Amino acid sequence: MTPLAVIAILVGIIALATALGLIWKAQNGRVRTSRGDETIRGVDVAAELGATATLLQFSSEVCAPCVSTHRVLDSLAAETAGVAHVEVDIVKHPDLVARFNILQTPTTLVLDNRGVVRARIGGAARPDSVRQELARIAAA
Amino acid sequence: MSTAEKPTLAVKPGQKGVDPRGPRFGAGITAVILLGLIAYALSRDPSTGTTTGSDLTPDGADVTWSSLSLLSVGERVALPSTLVLALLVALFAWGAFAGIQRHPYGLLFKALVRPRLGPPSELEDPVPPTFAQGIGFVITLVGLVLHVAGVPFALVTAASFAFIAAFLNSVFGYCLGCQIYLLLVRAGILGRKSAVTQ
Repeated sequence: MTPLAVIAILVGIIALATALGLIWKAQNGRVRTSRGDETIRGVDVAAELGATATLLQFSSEVCAPCVSTHRVLDSLAAETAGVAHVEVDIVKHPDLVARFNILQTPTTLVLDNRGVVRARIGGAARPDSVRQELARIAAA
Repeated sequence: MSTAEKPTLAVKPGQKGVDPRGPRFGAGITAVILLGLIAYALSRDPSTGTTTGSDLTPDGADVTWSSLSLLSVGERVALPSTLVLALLVALFAWGAFAGIQRHPYGLLFKALVRPRLGPPSELEDPVPPTFAQGIGFVITLVGLVLHVAGVPFALVTAASFAFIAAFLNSVFGYCLGCQIYLLLVRAGILGRKSAVTQ
């Protein structure tokens, strides 16, 4: 193979990896609004849901960003009255993982006061966008 | 108000957290070595059919993509590409089985890089990066076994996958191990038991 062809392939591999990284970064932490046809009850997650909203975080033991998301959601729950943060381990809740087709950890579902799933956040949660979503749910 | 089903999944008591920049630094070194290996293999390794015929056969016959199979197993083991990939397999095994904290890159990071940086904003649980080393170990080991078995392009393919994973980890902080762990749990291959022992 000519040196030029080798360099072209190397550049191609690096470009592919960079594109994948940029796509991942753009998706990571984005809030997606849900249709609102799914409901989670407190017994499903063995916890009490919040009076206004619940941040339901799916985590695993092998997950570095779950820790930072835990901290973000915990402090949001602490600063906002009526908002609860519930963290569940994917290993212990295969039913919910299958039902909501959880494909990455952390994934956070934002539930309203009746436990209806209003939004879904894949990846590390950003405080500002979660705050915005909580405000939207509180206003609805 | 906050209720967690279990305490935070952060560093467990009695377990020392790692500076998250350490594993990313190590992944950067791994990515550079892998890229060098890919470049070498594409330029002059029989697994990609790019070595000149006279290197392999005395009569100077044209060497096709299957030229790797013309070599004996012993000759394939002694190829420079095999030795470099074996070194990477060994380094991944070190991180996976001895733990990320004992990996030589971690020591290099502590000695050379960390003194030049500010303190880390947080320490991370060593389990995810250790698991990620295991993923790297499996990918490179499969490539190594197939390469020695004479499968053309196995080395370049495995090295490319490993490079993309190491690059994403180092540059973007993406955790492929986290993703694969979830998929293994969903497939029923890993469960609660292994989650504890991993």
